[in-house]
Amino acid sequence: MLRYILKRFTIMAVTLFIIVTLTFILMHSIPGSPFNQERGTNEAVQANLEEFYNLDEPLYVQYFIYLKAVATFDFGPSIKQPTATVNDLLGRGFPVSLELGLVSIIIAVISGILLGIIAALRHNEIIDYIAMTIAVLGISIPNFILATQLIQTFAVNLKILPAATWSSPMHMILPTIALATGPMAIIARLTRSTMLEVLTQDYIKMARAKGLSPAKIVFKHALRNALMPVVTILGTLLAGILTGTFVLEQIFAIPGMGKYFVESINTRDYPVIMGTTVFYSAFLIFMLFLVDIVYGLLDPRIKLHQKEVK
Amino acid sequence: MKKWLFFLFAVLAVIVLTACTANESAGEGDPSESNDSDDAQTEEPSEKVLYLNNGVEPTSFDPPIGFDSNSWQALNNLMEGLTRLGKDDQPQPATAEDWDISDDGKEYTFYIRDDAKWSNGDDVTADDFVYAWKRMLDPETGSPAAFLGYFIEGGEAFNSGEGSADDVAVVAEDDKTFKVTLTAPTGYFLNVIANPAFFPINQAVAEENPEWFAEADTFVGNGPFILESWKHDTSMVMAKNDQYWDAETVKLDKVNWAMVNDSNTEYQMYQSGDLDTSGVPSDMAEELMSGDDVIIEDQAGTYFYRFNVTKEPFQNTKIRKAFAMAVDQQQIVEYVTKNGEKPAYGFVAPGFTGPSGNDFRETNGNLVEFDPEKAKTLLEEGMAEEGYDELPPVTLSYNTSDSHKAIAETLQQMLKQNIGVDVELANAEWNVFLQDQKDLKHQLSRSSFLHDYADPINALESFITDSSMNRTGWSNAEFDGLIAKAKAEANEEKRWEYMYEAEKVLFDEMPIFPIYFYNQVLLQKENVTGIVRHPVGYMELKWADKN
Repeated sequence: MLRYILKRFTIMAVTLFIIVTLTFILMHSIPGSPFNQERGTNEAVQANLEEFYNLDEPLYVQYFIYLKAVATFDFGPSIKQPTATVNDLLGRGFPVSLELGLVSIIIAVISGILLGIIAALRHNEIIDYIAMTIAVLGISIPNFILATQLIQTFAVNLKILPAATWSSPMHMILPTIALATGPMAIIARLTRSTMLEVLTQDYIKMARAKGLSPAKIVFKHALRNALMPVVTILGTLLAGILTGTFVLEQIFAIPGMGKYFVESINTRDYPVIMGTTVFYSAFLIFMLFLVDIVYGLLDPRIKLHQKEVK
Repeated sequence: MKKWLFFLFAVLAVIVLTACTANESAGEGDPSESNDSDDAQTEEPSEKVLYLNNGVEPTSFDPPIGFDSNSWQALNNLMEGLTRLGKDDQPQPATAEDWDISDDGKEYTFYIRDDAKWSNGDDVTADDFVYAWKRMLDPETGSPAAFLGYFIEGGEAFNSGEGSADDVAVVAEDDKTFKVTLTAPTGYFLNVIANPAFFPINQAVAEENPEWFAEADTFVGNGPFILESWKHDTSMVMAKNDQYWDAETVKLDKVNWAMVNDSNTEYQMYQSGDLDTSGVPSDMAEELMSGDDVIIEDQAGTYFYRFNVTKEPFQNTKIRKAFAMAVDQQQIVEYVTKNGEKPAYGFVAPGFTGPSGNDFRETNGNLVEFDPEKAKTLLEEGMAEEGYDELPPVTLSYNTSDSHKAIAETLQQMLKQNIGVDVELANAEWNVFLQDQKDLKHQLSRSSFLHDYADPINALESFITDSSMNRTGWSNAEFDGLIAKAKAEANEEKRWEYMYEAEKVLFDEMPIFPIYFYNQVLLQKENVTGIVRHPVGYMELKWADKN
């Protein structure tokens, strides 16, 4: 196991390195500069600004400065907001985005699995059809449309929930529902179909023959196997939720990290672009790694590494 | 079994962690927001709180750095300059209670109020202005607003790295007397210094903590409101400043600024009572514009298109005029933008009053007209002059946005219909678009001009040869001469004559053609009054009230 983890970490580091390099190249190949304004500043001011941000150095020097920044995790000050360092911005935004993302994925997983189980147990009955219709709606409706509609219904018309911002648990309800619905739908459908398959297996028949209660059969024996595909796609779902936060944070005025990521590209704020990209990539890579570990733990049949044949 | 337990544990741990962090941040929530937006209007009835939206986090509260409305909208109410624009949009005494102007119009002596105080109790002194204005012009500061200081003698030299701070002609004659010497008589100087770039800075505070403006607890201002709290990216709360010299006029107790960047969400919050003002989302413009709560104010600026006279076929004046006259501005404002704007037939926006009480735009009249017949004739003549059998391909460029696209498509259609020319459309992201425009890569591109200060020269000087605001490649000696004369002229009547002439020369050669004059359209609750919005300038909350 340890060897597996070490191997994975090496691969993760290489992946991150490639991402950092590609981002740097792309970033500097877009035309435009962070100091581009309508009126333009005079040369003396321009020179001072470029010197401060190391933008007057040749590209390969800037590249090594960035690599050093990534290694020490100190990206320096933002160009657009000189009194805030990139780490400040990440420190402000990440906990909020993390909260939003985590709560959403938990809601998605739990309600998706439950919905799938119910649908599978009551296969071909009304409940099944209702559940699957909800699932289809959830997959089809884009989360930003759902978000605006939720605000309209619950905040403007019924006035029982706040419209936007992020300052109390009440404020969390609408954004997390909007973000969780898509993944929930996917998980529900997947759980249902796997569950149906599993329930026809021999060992389930055996459990029933032994006289075990339906609850025990489902939760102790069937679920573990039905969860495998869900865990498989969990990585992709996490990525989806991560990118989903960008749009929803804008709509709900949630002070998360997404807007720095998007805005920094428009303003050519190089330190922020590098910082947010590295951070998001590292986070996602690590989450995928965790998912793989969980996968291996869940199913003893899966060996994550090849044992040497002696 | 063990693995199942482990998994369950992991899930539970995550849930518990989330619950903990949820409670943590709920506790850290902005204390004024904990009133919950649902019962936003039910605090003690004696406290007047105005709920506004700043859209985004302010770029900076450092006066010369935050060169945009996201910063200066709020800063204008936290600090104050020598003058402040009043309800009539004219400069009124503010930190300076009086001033003398020398006969040649170049020397201004300001007398600062005795009761002008900083929010930490210090007196506002002339040294605070000297410190702030020199700092704004310092090339090390890198202020994008520095060009406004070029009116001051020694200002441009210092900012270009050729002069020194000592040569900038601002002097503190004593604690309360501040003297400025200008390079030329500038009748609108009092207007210019109302701009937040010219706000004083408490020198002692700034020298002790160069980032005094970055947090609420270190911010020191001299305006009608103090910065009570600032939760970055989330909200700001301003409270009435009791140290302000005119505190009795200020009626509001608090101003709560949200930072909601989505126009639809902003409107929804306005509907649910969480905000007192809101912009009008563009797709709802038609139905909302006729409501009772709509406010339409002028905004001094012009939406226009630039030709590139260094690229074919726009080196020919008649071809340019043909294109310009094929455009029906009235149709665009009535059916495309639908925001109550005024169609533009000149470059300088309405609202600038001259020495004899006349409005610039009214006096100089319409300098371009929609005339498809004349346009066709001019096009033929122009093509003959250049020897074109067929007009070279033309691309119309704009920066990516739905509203610009709508106007661009309309222009494309008008050009086809009225002079039979097929243009291609091209759009690019703003930064790329701007760079290309500066590099003269476009043929015909969209632009806008918004005033920095309230005088027509601000708009007209954009088109002198080689100005960074020109971006058309157009160069006309007569125009340059008229602008130079206007800038050096002390007599207001003569100065305006030069400006009228210059605009006429501009439209004689037509390197640009205008579409509409900007305005400010917003929704405001009926119980809110007294918010002053200037055509050039930032929102004033000093006289605002809420019933």
